[in-house]
Amino acid sequence: MSKLTPKLQAEQDRVQALVAEIYPGNRVERDVNAETVLWVNSQKELIQAVKTLRIETGLQMDRLSDITAYENIDGRDGPKRFIMVYQLYSMRFHARVRIKLAVEENEKVPTLTSFWRAANWLEREVYDLFGIPFEDHPDLRRIQMDERFVGHPLRKEYDIKDRQPFPDSLPVRIAARAPLVSGQE
Amino acid sequence: MSKDGNAGFIPTRLDYAVKWAQKNSLWPFTFGTSCCGIEMMSTLSGTYDLARFGAEVVRFSPRQADMLIVAGTITTKMSPVLRQVYDQMLEPKWVIAMGACSSSGGIFDTYSVLQGIDEIMPVDIYVPGCPPIPEGLIHAIMKLQDVVQTGGKRPQMHKLTRAEATDAMSFRKGSQETLFDDSKPLKGQLT
Repeated sequence: MSKLTPKLQAEQDRVQALVAEIYPGNRVERDVNAETVLWVNSQKELIQAVKTLRIETGLQMDRLSDITAYENIDGRDGPKRFIMVYQLYSMRFHARVRIKLAVEENEKVPTLTSFWRAANWLEREVYDLFGIPFEDHPDLRRIQMDERFVGHPLRKEYDIKDRQPFPDSLPVRIAARAPLVSGQE
Repeated sequence: MSKDGNAGFIPTRLDYAVKWAQKNSLWPFTFGTSCCGIEMMSTLSGTYDLARFGAEVVRFSPRQADMLIVAGTITTKMSPVLRQVYDQMLEPKWVIAMGACSSSGGIFDTYSVLQGIDEIMPVDIYVPGCPPIPEGLIHAIMKLQDVVQTGGKRPQMHKLTRAEATDAMSFRKGSQETLFDDSKPLKGQLT
């Protein structure tokens, strides 16, 4: 964990106070790096929060650093199975806000591709590895695993060594939009 | 041949000459996907100078290459691409699996990494090391020259059937269900 310089620390403190002020009813906390974590309660609230954090004069969270998810195995973060994580960054103030949203398995999450085009591939990655579906996503396909792959490998029930050797007879595509080549068997 | 144009006696057989030419002009197609690729570049450059063995003409088209050097981790997603490259190479062709990852999967014993490229193509020479030192690759190429010259036994490839593929999955071994069903499309697969 890195220690922020005093100037950045002051900026982050200000952002923390402002976020807590805008969202009095939400859980707002700080992580070990003193970064702000904002918990939103629903999908609708997520969209609202993204909009607000982006246009609020004192925040201007205009950059999407990362979208990821984790599995809430010990139940510390509520009853739902997955936690979506959105990492926002302000190019103006050099401060960060992390938005977290708890979702159940197969519960749909709205896409952020209309706000950031970078969200496209990041959401595809989350869909690929965790199986969280995104609503209104323009191109929801697997991005890292082979399209013949079955299952979502970062889920806890997926064993890490469970390989899937594809038989030669299975149709294959060697590039994203290439035609399917039928099996060689 | 002497200067007056007298060819004299050519004490060689044609196939010997062809093999000699092949072994001294093994043009590599490089498939460097990780740190082994760096060692391979080092082997090709001045200090180790693979040109001494006639193998310095790196071709980035499989049609012009004789030898495929697979240097690095091959994921299951990359494997159809690598297989396509191998299929596009013209006969005669040889394959060197350079390093632990391409020989056996190396330290990456996970769901996404091919456990050795011999799952998808026949391999002539395996080079151990993580990554192998340039001398290792040079030794492999010299061994391959022996293979080319003596016409040693070539590796054979076994095509994986659906039942075998399901059985090969470590944690599904022995279960009767087959994962790949012909009748229904795969989840996430474009049609």
